[in-house]
Amino acid sequence: MLSFDPGPEMAAELERVRVLGREFLRPLGIEADLTGEAIPAAHPFFQKAWELGIGRVGPDDREAREDGGSGERTAARRGVLVAEELAYWDRGAAVALPGPGLGAPPVRRMGTPEQQERFLGRFRDPSRPRWGAFAMTEPAAGSDVAGIRTSARRDGEGWVLSGAKTFISNAIRADWIVVWASVDPAAGRAGHRAFVVERGTPGLEDMRAEHKMGLIAYESASFTLRDCRVPSANLLGGEDHYRARAGFKGAMESFNATRPMIAVMAVGIARAAYDAARAFAREHYVLARPLPRHQRITAKLARMARKIEVARLLCWRAATLADVEQPNQIEASMAKAFAPAAAQEVTSLALEILGEAGVRQDRYVEKLYRDVKAMDIVEGTGQIQRIVIARRLVGYPAAS
Amino acid sequence: MIDLHLGPDEEMIRDTARAFAQDRLAPAMRVHEGRGAVDVGLVRAYRVLGFAAMEAPATAGGQGASPLAKALVLEELGAGDAAAAFALEGAGPALQALVELGETALLRNLIADPHLRVGFVSDEEGRLALGPATVTGTHPWSPLPSRGCAAVVVVQGEQMVLVRDGVDFVPVRPCGLAAAGACQLDFAAAPVVATTVDRAAAARARAHARRFVAALLVGLARTATDYAMRYAEGRVAFGRPIAHHQGLAFLLADMATAVEGARLALWRAAVDGGEEDGGSRRAAWALAEAAEQALFVGPSAVQVLGGHGFMKDHPVEKWMRDIRTLALLGGGRDEAELDAAAGEG
Repeated sequence: MLSFDPGPEMAAELERVRVLGREFLRPLGIEADLTGEAIPAAHPFFQKAWELGIGRVGPDDREAREDGGSGERTAARRGVLVAEELAYWDRGAAVALPGPGLGAPPVRRMGTPEQQERFLGRFRDPSRPRWGAFAMTEPAAGSDVAGIRTSARRDGEGWVLSGAKTFISNAIRADWIVVWASVDPAAGRAGHRAFVVERGTPGLEDMRAEHKMGLIAYESASFTLRDCRVPSANLLGGEDHYRARAGFKGAMESFNATRPMIAVMAVGIARAAYDAARAFAREHYVLARPLPRHQRITAKLARMARKIEVARLLCWRAATLADVEQPNQIEASMAKAFAPAAAQEVTSLALEILGEAGVRQDRYVEKLYRDVKAMDIVEGTGQIQRIVIARRLVGYPAAS
Repeated sequence: MIDLHLGPDEEMIRDTARAFAQDRLAPAMRVHEGRGAVDVGLVRAYRVLGFAAMEAPATAGGQGASPLAKALVLEELGAGDAAAAFALEGAGPALQALVELGETALLRNLIADPHLRVGFVSDEEGRLALGPATVTGTHPWSPLPSRGCAAVVVVQGEQMVLVRDGVDFVPVRPCGLAAAGACQLDFAAAPVVATTVDRAAAARARAHARRFVAALLVGLARTATDYAMRYAEGRVAFGRPIAHHQGLAFLLADMATAVEGARLALWRAAVDGGEEDGGSRRAAWALAEAAEQALFVGPSAVQVLGGHGFMKDHPVEKWMRDIRTLALLGGGRDEAELDAAAGEG
């Protein structure tokens, strides 16, 4: 049954996120942007957030939360609703929040029960905030994730990883990193394996923070795996998982789950830009006057609002299909192709509404203009999403 | 919780409408276009399904069906032949205006008589002189036949009027939607037989008309996209299907995404399209989005087919013309965007 109402329980949850965002995420995000430094791991806010349960794994780590006893799976929809709200307040600060992050989906989907307990169980511990990370991207393999070159070599009872990863969120402060490597580059996707590499593992080296245009509040890191020895027990899913040739599939399933989340974060940023531009316009102009300039402003605001709405609905649709366990690859990619592009248009229009004041860094909108660009790149660029859609709809070949 | 997938009842309505549109409407669309009219037998067959004016209250001969159900039906009609939808529906975009004007008897007649139509004119630029008792002036185009039009509704600001006589229906050759009929409307001090000055009522009437047009545009854009995709899979250039050249593959992906986004905006306008300002705003968004995306999709579909797209051997040129025409109806995208912008002031 079609519904656009989050319901009272979800509305209350979103209100909690709103309070967190207003009081902490946005101020911290702006501060990080002005200083050029990520929010430090030891910042008291993270401890406070952790104590409140933010990022912590629940007692039974139910990925599929049920709704009012109906047994309805709602995790994906809850995810996009919360993600938009977090990103509205500050996407960078939201990514910096503690928790297993993008490392959680592969552990949950591919990991054995023992691995899930070993790697996610520690995220129940209330004593100190923890982070997890997900490392697929390499200096020479971004969108073409099938082309990763980090190697995994069997050596006795363990594995030896060699290669380099880049643009990995929260890797510096992570307890562990899900690292994707290949046992046979010639095998392509079938050769992919996912390993959990723990902090302090010998060979996990050269960890350094990248310098970014936006989203300063969290660290994006590069690192090297130099003959990094990982126990067999850290191969996600164990050997059996890959005998079923499910290695790459695991990564792709992760993306299908996370693409609507990333897309809806672009919506959140766009909404922040819209609100800022609307507030500015109302403060500086009497918009009801039928002056051509004012009408241009209201027309821009109306277009921004409409594009935000459509982008959000595409994300909600993809999330709904995920929850009802229908295929959502096309819809997830449509959301990811559309929403960041729409959000870029919205933030750019917001800058136009501010006029020359918009370029000043002490105005919030130019930060959003820088921040939002990343959303069209991470989790598969807009071009990659079009390839995915075209592959599904018109048989566009995998390697063209 | 939010939920953006259709339930079984909604799927059944959509599937029934789809079967009718694809089996009966689509094969006849060129014939109907050539005649500038729809076979009355087809109109009767559609009325049997109970979809015509289904959203009207029971007192007016309707079923009080939800705006979403109607949107699902209209998308299918748009995919089959958007022009025919006007003849099939009778009241069409004017339905809510008739309800607001208390014209329930006229609505019942429209549902019962497959020959009757009512026109809908949104005149926000004030081309027509609306007096308390008469309407005077010329409206350049309306998708109406030169005979069989029972009445015309004119909406101007907060005022809505209904005229039955004193209107000259002058046939014109339209860019598209020919099967709906096409006339210039000359109002010669046409006597007003019903009137209302009510901002909320006018907003509801406009919202209904906008959802009506938006749904047809979504259907048109969908069928154009589907046709272009199938063609691009079969047409070979430089040794492979043209769909497998990235330039076209990306275009097709964008067309499919455009349709999906416009459809979801329509669904939201249909579900949250009540009397409050948000409902009117969402209807305006739905039309603006459907028009923008359909106007991207229509010419793009022709482009995918290249020279073949330009020829009448394929339907994409018709869909491109139909989209361009339909997106102007009732004030079209411009009026919708202006109304949405007014809410920003």
